[in-house]
Amino acid sequence: MDYLDPAVVARLGTLELKARAVVEGFIAGLHRSPFKGFSVEFAEYRQYIAGDDLSTMDWKVYARSDRHFVKKFEEETNLQCQLLVDVSASMAYKSESFGARGMSKFEYAACLAASLGYLMHRQRDAVGFTAFSDRIVDTLPPSTRPGHLRNILVALDRLEVASRTDVAKPLHRIAETMTKRGMVILISDLLDDPDAVIRGLKHFQYRGCDVLVFQVLDPDELDFPFDRATRFEDLETGEEIMAVPGAVRDHYQRQMGALIDRYRRELGSAGIDYQLLNTGEPLEMALLSYLSTRSRTV
Amino acid sequence: MSFLSPLFLAGAIAAAVPIVLHLLKRHTEQRIRFAAVALLKGAPVEHTSTRRLREFLLLALRVAALAMLAVAFARPFFGAGSAMSGGLSVVAVDTSLSMSAPGSVARTRQLFIDAVRQAPPGDDVAVVTFADRADVVVRPTANRNEALAAIANVAPGFGSTSYAAALGASAELFHGRKGTVVVVTDLQASGWDADRGASIPASVGVEVRDVVTDVARDAGRGQDNLAVTSLRADGDRVVATIHNAGSRPRDAHARLTVDGRTAGAATLNVGAHGAADAVFPGVRSAGVASVSVDDPGGIPGDNTRYAILGADAPATVLVVTTSGDLDKDAWYVRHALAAARGVSTTELATTSDDVLRRYGVVVLLSTHGLEPRARERLAAYVAGGGGLLVAAGPDLDAAVAADVLGAADRLDIVAGRESQPMFLAPADVRHPIFRAFGAEAASLGLVQFRRVARVTGRACQAIARFTSGEPAVLDCAAGSGRAIVFASDLNDRWNDFPVRASFVPFLDQAARYLSSHGRRGSEFLVGDVPPGVKPVPGVTTIDTGTGARRVIVNVDPRESAADRMSPDDFQSAITRLKADAVNAERTDAAGQESRRPLWQFLLGAMMLALVAEGLVAARSA
Repeated sequence: MDYLDPAVVARLGTLELKARAVVEGFIAGLHRSPFKGFSVEFAEYRQYIAGDDLSTMDWKVYARSDRHFVKKFEEETNLQCQLLVDVSASMAYKSESFGARGMSKFEYAACLAASLGYLMHRQRDAVGFTAFSDRIVDTLPPSTRPGHLRNILVALDRLEVASRTDVAKPLHRIAETMTKRGMVILISDLLDDPDAVIRGLKHFQYRGCDVLVFQVLDPDELDFPFDRATRFEDLETGEEIMAVPGAVRDHYQRQMGALIDRYRRELGSAGIDYQLLNTGEPLEMALLSYLSTRSRTV
Repeated sequence: MSFLSPLFLAGAIAAAVPIVLHLLKRHTEQRIRFAAVALLKGAPVEHTSTRRLREFLLLALRVAALAMLAVAFARPFFGAGSAMSGGLSVVAVDTSLSMSAPGSVARTRQLFIDAVRQAPPGDDVAVVTFADRADVVVRPTANRNEALAAIANVAPGFGSTSYAAALGASAELFHGRKGTVVVVTDLQASGWDADRGASIPASVGVEVRDVVTDVARDAGRGQDNLAVTSLRADGDRVVATIHNAGSRPRDAHARLTVDGRTAGAATLNVGAHGAADAVFPGVRSAGVASVSVDDPGGIPGDNTRYAILGADAPATVLVVTTSGDLDKDAWYVRHALAAARGVSTTELATTSDDVLRRYGVVVLLSTHGLEPRARERLAAYVAGGGGLLVAAGPDLDAAVAADVLGAADRLDIVAGRESQPMFLAPADVRHPIFRAFGAEAASLGLVQFRRVARVTGRACQAIARFTSGEPAVLDCAAGSGRAIVFASDLNDRWNDFPVRASFVPFLDQAARYLSSHGRRGSEFLVGDVPPGVKPVPGVTTIDTGTGARRVIVNVDPRESAADRMSPDDFQSAITRLKADAVNAERTDAAGQESRRPLWQFLLGAMMLALVAEGLVAARSA
């Protein structure tokens, strides 16, 4: 069973279970990845087997016990990471083609946040969490305490989509409260004013934080697969537009492509990592992006 | 706005169909709650407000098209509705002969002016003059001066009085409006005689302005008038009847002229409200005779009467029977047609065409002994403009009677047969024979027929039918003349027609119709003159087609009668039938609608609406 597949993850019960399944599945895959041995924190001893790196051999143990053991390490830093989850109404969209399977953007974002939190907690990083729409809905400060992950998962579980998005406003507010350098991970569909969003993210940079942005979009929002005349109602504003999809598809896709390109281009030039996530695709890319950013940060 | 066929407006309910479809369709449209709606802005999409506007426009066009179709079928028209807003006063002025009595003309004009000026403010005013017939001198107008200018037409002529004509013409002006007919008249009783009343819409009032009462009050005495009411030849004598309408005996000085030469004079005393004959013996010459009396204080138009003497004088009706003895063969016909003369079928064969042409009408009751020569003579008589009345009774042989109108206009007569009692009903009440019956036409339905003949003819039209559906009275054209064929007996053998009140008027009207059609008559009343003859008393000539013929025109002697009625009697003779008012209104509405066919414009507008709907719908597809 592929625990990185959203269709599979969606069927798992609790968010904790989902996060664990995702992360464990991810880590299992990492054994064949260049991220092996990224942790600096001692995790366990293992009996030496031929081919092990001799630099990991614990000579003191060999001196005391006359046995060959190699040390297994986990990375340990004082990294503080804040997960910012967009819970605005637009995040509630879920493609009808998914049916009971698959996840809405909000569910996908929550699962991603939980997975990242789980992964961070496993790496002994301090992880915090903030949910926002046009205001801050819920927040937990970063911590490495043993029960903190559970608090985050419970808070994520309780979340519901709220009202309108105003990404910039809560971003500025959160940035103002940041007292320590660290990492900020924004999970949002970013269907907002790009200028305001980018300004808000640059505020974090100004505060000395590394920023990783996950733009979560539904396949429908990327491909606009509708075929018959449809009355589109905005999830946040209620505005209605009657459109014949065949006539507007090109225009829409150009607009969406331009928005994504702009985020990618402007955030990249600002040194902010950006990752577009499709809710129909596995979370693996998100976790890899995190690890990539983290490796650069620590 | 009014409608000729308002029931079609129910079709406007169909306009609800697009509304229902619109409401149903509105719920079937796919609706998606979408996050990136903002990215659709600027795309060639239709915003909801625009879409709704377009939908409402489409809906309105569809509803309008259906509504206009329904309204077009309802045949709308303007006119009656707006006309209903104001009243109408019609001033009907009597211009018959009797109105020419001294003092009456001035008084009539004064009453006319008063009637126009006293019309209710806001009412339109119309002016009608009437004698035998009525003329609308001024159609409804708000301009009182225009109405007053019609006083030039308020002058008496020589016609007789017909109140029915006056009220009929006046009623037609109302077109459903309310108002009043003001009748300025001398209330002569004979004005109702021929017409037996008149009908007028219930919403129209009738006022009477009595000219005679005012004149008598002004003069301090009653109306005096001497009139020559009859002139006839009796052997070598000429007898003139002088009538005194005054309340005191008078000496009447009568003079006879024949073709303009004085042929005699007589003085006689005529008692009050009485009549006396002035006899002029020894008049042997043929020609046009006239008798005049001196009556400076009376109605001038009735002081002279004309008659044709000698060979020119028509014996109006010739009745052909088996024996020629009308008392024996046609007692009822003889008494119904006082001027009838009898001739046997055998004598007819020897009667010259010239003699036959003197008769305005020939009544054929028998064909026993009718020789082919006689039949040819009858056919020639009819073809030359004569009038023939054929009664298909027991004395009529179907085979013999077949060619009395000529071989080309053959009559097919099947001899009478016994049948269940059946009755008669006019099929064309507008025919001159039945028109005079007016509302009394129903009395013809009282006649019970026990035996009838079946008659058809190529050039014949059934103007009355039996209740079995078979023709009862046929009007046949033959050459320049006409024939009326009655499909039963006229002598109380096959039916009870002769003992019915409608028998005499029927024969009288049939004789009038047949005689006047071919211009066979030589004596006319002012009100009955044929086309081309002035309605003025005197002598004139007419072209009969076979040559010029002298005819005389006399005034109706009833105009000389002093019998008057009260205003109440006048009012009581008027029938106010709502049904008549409704029918008249409907007829008028149909006329107005046909003059301005709004339905054509509505259908055009409907087509435009459908074209617009198609264009708008194409843009929404």
